[in-house]
Amino acid sequence: MTNVNLIALTKTYPGQPHAVLQDFSLAVAAGELVTLLGASGSGKSTLLKLIAGLEQPDAGDIQFDGASIRPLPPHRRGAVFMFQKSYLFPFLNVGDNIGFGLKVQGASAHHIRGEVARVLHLIGLPGSERRQPGQLSGGEQQRVALARALVTNPKLLLLDEPLSSLDTEVRLNLQAAIRAIQRELGITTVLVTHDLGEAMAMSDRLALLSHGRIVALDRPEVLFHRPPSQAAAQFMGVSTFLTGRQSAGCLETPHGRLQVACAAAQAGAATYAIRPEHIRLQKAAGENALAGCVLDCVFRGEYVEYQVAVADLDVRVRMPMPAPRYERGAQVYVRLPAEHLFAVA
Amino acid sequence: MRRRLSLSPWLSLAPALALVVVLVGASLAYGVAQSLGLMAVIGQNTVSLDAYRSLLSGHGPAGREFWSALGFSLWVSVTATIVSAALALLLAVGLASRPGGGAADTLALNWNLAVPHLVWAVALLLFLAQSGLLARLAAAGGLIELPAEFPVLVRDRYGLGLILHYVSKETPFLALIVLAMLRSQPTGYAQVAANLGANRWQRLRYVTLPFVMPGLLAGALLVFAFVFSAYEVPAVLGVGYPRMLSVLALRFFTDPDLRARADGMAVSLILTAIVLAVAAASLKRGGAK
Amino acid sequence: MTRLSQIGRWALYLLLAAPLALFAVYAFSTRWFFPQLLPAEWTSATLARVLGDGRVISALRDSVAMAGGVSLLAMVIGYPAARVLGLRQFRGRNAAWLVLFLPTVVPPLAVGMGLNILFLQLGLAGTLAGVMLAHLVPALPYVVFTLAGAFARYDENYEFQALVLGASPARTFWSVSLRLLAPSLVVAGLFAFLISWSQYLLTLLIGSGRIITLPVLLFSAAAGGNPATTAALALIFLAPPLVIIAATARQLNQRPGDIREQL
Repeated sequence: MTNVNLIALTKTYPGQPHAVLQDFSLAVAAGELVTLLGASGSGKSTLLKLIAGLEQPDAGDIQFDGASIRPLPPHRRGAVFMFQKSYLFPFLNVGDNIGFGLKVQGASAHHIRGEVARVLHLIGLPGSERRQPGQLSGGEQQRVALARALVTNPKLLLLDEPLSSLDTEVRLNLQAAIRAIQRELGITTVLVTHDLGEAMAMSDRLALLSHGRIVALDRPEVLFHRPPSQAAAQFMGVSTFLTGRQSAGCLETPHGRLQVACAAAQAGAATYAIRPEHIRLQKAAGENALAGCVLDCVFRGEYVEYQVAVADLDVRVRMPMPAPRYERGAQVYVRLPAEHLFAVA
Repeated sequence: MRRRLSLSPWLSLAPALALVVVLVGASLAYGVAQSLGLMAVIGQNTVSLDAYRSLLSGHGPAGREFWSALGFSLWVSVTATIVSAALALLLAVGLASRPGGGAADTLALNWNLAVPHLVWAVALLLFLAQSGLLARLAAAGGLIELPAEFPVLVRDRYGLGLILHYVSKETPFLALIVLAMLRSQPTGYAQVAANLGANRWQRLRYVTLPFVMPGLLAGALLVFAFVFSAYEVPAVLGVGYPRMLSVLALRFFTDPDLRARADGMAVSLILTAIVLAVAAASLKRGGAK
Repeated sequence: MTRLSQIGRWALYLLLAAPLALFAVYAFSTRWFFPQLLPAEWTSATLARVLGDGRVISALRDSVAMAGGVSLLAMVIGYPAARVLGLRQFRGRNAAWLVLFLPTVVPPLAVGMGLNILFLQLGLAGTLAGVMLAHLVPALPYVVFTLAGAFARYDENYEFQALVLGASPARTFWSVSLRLLAPSLVVAGLFAFLISWSQYLLTLLIGSGRIITLPVLLFSAAAGGNPATTAALALIFLAPPLVIIAATARQLNQRPGDIREQL
């Protein structure tokens, strides 16, 4: 069980004007799974490569259990990697692929066989030693890649969007499987993904990344319900923000006066937000209800998504089925329940 | 760290680059020097354009043959290039229309490439000589009685043997190039053309030809450069007169008269200049790699 | 087009098989004159005599040794160059390509003549080493471009995986990189062998008459005029190309565009 400390990492690629990582710091506790969530180019993959030693930072330090690993080459760090593609060696069968890490360490053939069988059992593919990588499905290949990584008892598991090329069904199964194995073995893990659902399902803690910096870092539930900033809220799918003056449980906005259940620390300028699934549409006016006009309506199976124009604000509403249907152009009232409005700044 | 990254490509390239620059560069430099009359071994240290002057004016032992050799080389290489390009196109189109990848075809074409030019030339000699196999078949068929009655197809004054050799060797080479391009092309275009009423020849001319032309042209220019400067086959299949430029160059380069060597070297450098000019023009056109 | 393409295909096969058959017939006879369509008597004496000739044996030995050496040298020098050309982007990459491309356009005649002068001064003329260096000129670019093409299709992440799993860089090279590149390495090496094997002009110019390889022998036999001996030599000379093409057939079928005209 290793803890990882990233201290003020900075990295710029030659020829690029901006740094891909700037003063990046993060502490990962032993046995924890931390997810880095962000768009492409936010520096997530670069960070993993720095930890693995496949690239060098311009400044900063990386520590495993308090000792700096920067002088160590990649093959001595004990940080294993999973990519989007399994990169199973095509010239080896499944068993030899998994045993590769043990073989280069000089383990005995007998020991390797035992370990390979054990780990194949762990990932749910017992007895597959003789199969060829080309015969496996995408999900199976990633499982074998995971097995290959885990069999060496690594200090750290680095996952770089390992599931993004898989079908939805397979991806969901694998999310649960990886999470279960990680918990059982207690391996410190850093996961990189751009999929919010995946990040929330798998993480102990979630770091939101933008342009090489951490925007927010906390447990998924906290970030989901009470994101600390507007930027963080946008990450979590919140798009409705109201700015105004808050005093004594009342928010005065250009759109009207709204009751808020949780008052901000002091009276003054404040921005509040609300999740799209908490907003309701109704025909009649009422408390915390703003007049608006329906722009669009999209049926998404579990919910219906409305785009409603409230003065100059575009409000996205998600109403669970069964939901009332409003036509495009209909005049409706957008109700923002007081108990679901929260302050973001 | 970052500095190391930008140095190391050159470190990896250094041995290969050094070898090429030294061997090709030095050889050309020495060649130019010798052609300008700078030969330390016989004590000549002054630059002189005598070799070039005698070649271009048609005087002197090498100069007498220079223009006819140049013309002959151009005749052989241009004819061989054009004929093989045309045949290669037809061959490739014919082979490509056969479904199923055609592994045997590609193997056959590659086999032809692997046969060394010298061997191929010898085979042609045995086959097409006046006492060769073809002549004997003709005799068996009652067409001729004596070897002398069979037409001179190799070691002839018109370069026919040379052209036959290079056409039979380069057509498969160019066909492979065209075939590779055809196999990578989606068949949709030809089908659309057929749909719109184009017959086979129109499809060839308006759809296939423009598509393969760049690759075919590049290959053809390589072929021209190769045939124009080749030595071995003209030495085996050629005659005393007219000679290819390369044969002329070597003859004088190995002349016991040291001064004649400058002439030989000058011929080979003029040859080189022509080839490089053609290559440069094709690179500019085709936009290299 | 099908009838025409059938004819074309059979003409192609005939064209290719004919020389082999011709050589075989000549080599297995002693007297085969005009207008006989087939030899009066068949014998293996010619082939036996040729194979037993001391000069042929030493020429064979020299040809094999040199071609093997040139192939190895070309691979060792060419591999790192091809790797950076195929995998990396850097300033001056196009210039490097151009320089390495030069030997394919500069006529071997000019290079050979110039090297003749240079090597005379360096004492390399008439030596195996000198001739091998000369053979490297056409062989190296071929190896570099074939391998560069392979590297362009190569994914370094396989090597990263090996590294993070604990394999040292050296181990990664032997166990992973070489095995992933094996097909292209084999093709490049074998064709470098063929390029050196087929060289006549460079051997002539640099060897100064002291280095006798098979093509040199074949050339004088062809000029001399004993067709049986010539045919026998041609068959011996053809053996490695035949074997190499058969061995690399599958790879070549997948990437016919890599073939170069240097033989």
